[in-house]
Amino acid sequence: MTTVSIEAARVGERIPSGKLAMWWFLASEIMTFGGLLAAFVLRRFAAGGWEDQAAHVSTRIAAFNTLLLVSSSLTLVQAHAAVKADQRNRVAPYLLCTIVLGLAFLAVKGYEYSGEIAHGFTPSAGPFWSFYYGLTGLHALHVLAGVIVNAALYVLVIRGRLWPRVQQRVEYAGLYWHFVDIVWIFLFPLVYLS
Amino acid sequence: MSQVAVVTHHAHEETSFWRKYVFSVDHKVIGRQYLTLGLCMALLGGATVYVIRWQLAWPETPIPLTSWVPEPAMYDGQLDPSFYNQLVTMHGTIMVFFVAMPILLGGLGNFLLPLMIGADDMALPRLNMMSFWTFFTASAVLLSSFFVSGGPAAAGWTGYPPLSANPEYTGVHGGMNLWILALALEFASFLMGGVNFLTTAINMRAPGLSFFRLPLMVWMQLTAGVLFLLSVGPIIGGAVMLLLDRTIGSGFFLPERGGDPLLWQHLFWFFGHPEVYVVLLPGVGAVLEILPVFARKPIFGYRTIVYSTIIAGVLSFVVWAHHMFVAGIDPRLAMPFSITTILISVPFAIMTFAMIATLWGGSIEFRTPMLFTFGFLITFLIGGVTGIFNGSAAVDIFIHGTYFVVAHFHYTLFPTVFFAGFAGIYYWYPKMFGRMMNEALGKLHFWLTFVAFNLVFLPMFVLGIGGHMRRIYNPLQYDFLKPLAPVNQFITMAAVALLLSQIPFILNFIGSLWFGEKAADNPWRANTLEWSTSSPPPHGNFATVPTVYRGPYEYSRPGAAQDFLPQTQPLPTGAAAAGA
Amino acid sequence: MSDESRFPSYVAIWSWLVALLVAALFCAYVPFGKALAIFLIFTLAVIKAFLVARHYMHLRTEGLLIYAIAGVPVLLLLGLTLALVPDIIFRR
Repeated sequence: MTTVSIEAARVGERIPSGKLAMWWFLASEIMTFGGLLAAFVLRRFAAGGWEDQAAHVSTRIAAFNTLLLVSSSLTLVQAHAAVKADQRNRVAPYLLCTIVLGLAFLAVKGYEYSGEIAHGFTPSAGPFWSFYYGLTGLHALHVLAGVIVNAALYVLVIRGRLWPRVQQRVEYAGLYWHFVDIVWIFLFPLVYLS
Repeated sequence: MSQVAVVTHHAHEETSFWRKYVFSVDHKVIGRQYLTLGLCMALLGGATVYVIRWQLAWPETPIPLTSWVPEPAMYDGQLDPSFYNQLVTMHGTIMVFFVAMPILLGGLGNFLLPLMIGADDMALPRLNMMSFWTFFTASAVLLSSFFVSGGPAAAGWTGYPPLSANPEYTGVHGGMNLWILALALEFASFLMGGVNFLTTAINMRAPGLSFFRLPLMVWMQLTAGVLFLLSVGPIIGGAVMLLLDRTIGSGFFLPERGGDPLLWQHLFWFFGHPEVYVVLLPGVGAVLEILPVFARKPIFGYRTIVYSTIIAGVLSFVVWAHHMFVAGIDPRLAMPFSITTILISVPFAIMTFAMIATLWGGSIEFRTPMLFTFGFLITFLIGGVTGIFNGSAAVDIFIHGTYFVVAHFHYTLFPTVFFAGFAGIYYWYPKMFGRMMNEALGKLHFWLTFVAFNLVFLPMFVLGIGGHMRRIYNPLQYDFLKPLAPVNQFITMAAVALLLSQIPFILNFIGSLWFGEKAADNPWRANTLEWSTSSPPPHGNFATVPTVYRGPYEYSRPGAAQDFLPQTQPLPTGAAAAGA
Repeated sequence: MSDESRFPSYVAIWSWLVALLVAALFCAYVPFGKALAIFLIFTLAVIKAFLVARHYMHLRTEGLLIYAIAGVPVLLLLGLTLALVPDIIFRR
């Protein structure tokens, strides 16, 4: 009779629980942002485009933000690759870049909001603006949550703590972060380019 | 089968009181916490029933026992109309989100899922703990809304704008925002739970436990989890939009700000309809576990039930507009949604037939869980059948917004949450608390509840056809409703009886904790895995990881030594190896 | 597949993402017909999302279950959007 750990005795899929859980969570997030985006697309189409309101958003700033976010996805997936290749010393710098890029995104967003509010484009300025603040605000909150999680991971990495668990968690944090990036990939054209 | 002794649990250091009893990560503790909180909230939900029903029966007289409620909610027992709306709102909100879900999903689901699949705990125990405390916070936020200026939410549990979106229309400011916040927290809590349930069931089943050997309760919990995960997104978006409309002047739903009120209804009911199946399915799961045990017969049509459940789950996403037939939707939507709604009755009918077929020819033991199961079957049948009337757009035009609808959904939700929920509680109480509940009190509780329930809600169909609308404070202000006043009074008296009928249960539940007969491992002689360990199960659930040899419903198998054959019991050597 | 070969691959995807961003900006500013521009921009967004999902979220190497978990909500959303068209767009 040999003794084995409880994990090894299980049947079932070989997907790690954390990854599976994260994907289930992302499924519901798809529905959340998707529902909001669908509502926005439909209302905007019904109302004739809201071009007069939409003209006042800055496509340049948002395009720059897109670049920031997409680059942060790159750095985070590079961190994951470094983890998989067991190159611990490369993980922290990539994580840090991701965090900085995320913070930069939020800073740019804040700058953008302050400009728009100063010009009187508040949420009550029209239905387009309601959706604008609702969509980008909810997205920004998700970015902030992601930054916090990445920062927590960064601290764990530079302290050299819990390495096996950190390896998995970088991947899961990455899944979440890439999802937030995908939401922006849809948000950007729907809000800024249409 | 290799000879492996599998270690279930590594020993760990002593944990503090807080970690052990309050912030426990043990799914059994968390399940009991959810159950307790859900039952407590049920008391509050019941209290609202008393005031609402008394008001409907005798609208112009003070309501007894309420003189302590301060103004402006009540004026020395006389109910303020706005407070009536608030009570109706909170009744619905509390019952659906803060009673049904914690009892059936958080309580029974959390407690049973790892046990039924032979796991030592959930896949993500700390997430489980966080989900309960998020739910606790949600409950606290909701309760706090009673105490803020303006009182609690007043726009119905469905929160339709513009009434809900502009604080001026209800006069409720902070209370409604707290309502939205409480719901958001509740959604977050059950999202965490749903993610956990699904991950656990996929990853942590015991050796030999394939999907088609799972107990039907597990199938139901999983389907409910998927339905919730996929449906809650749009309402979260909607809730954000509603909160913004109320606070920062946005115009998502308010026409005067360029918004569309119908959008909320679509988002709400896209969630709302799968949500009622989220509440329904675990109750059905409890019944499906109890039936074979107390009929000593295998479940009839296991795979059929599984496929019906999945089909019902899928269909539940395409029926939502049947709540909106008279809301001003495009008339061309009426027919497709009527068709899908009528279609969805088919899988449920199949399940009901399967349940009846399970009973047929069985040796039925009329213990309390079985009595409540019978109660469920009879009343749920009525609920399901009356759903057809509501689901046909042409009929719905006349009965929408009347007490016919109220009667219909109480004939589906009450059986699910209370008859099936009580059945589950009586059945699994020994496993959860290590004691048996008192059988005499249980039978008394059943008969009182069953009779009172039908006396309350059957006449409501009559009210509804008579044109009695919902959510009105004083029916007597309409001449055509005055002849129906005696019906309202009868219902109210029956409702008071229904509330009082729960006293035996309260006494039994609490009393049996100390005075109940100590429970054996398997007092009901059942097959599923939770009964193969002690009552209550130890830390780690099983001494060694169970191996599953068969499905869960091998009762009265010809030639077997006993009339039940547990899933983990290997057949004696020489007999055929693991049966399907 | 060696892990080393993944490093340039991620950067290559990033370059594509940036290129598609530029292309989308191009579509927005060059005077195509409005419907065509919107169609192109949205298609580009879908391609970008697909690239991120497949390569950064490693859907490329995942099995059917993960694809189902990711894909079913998307289909459900499309259904929801279509069902809402009569009411939100064509009412009144």
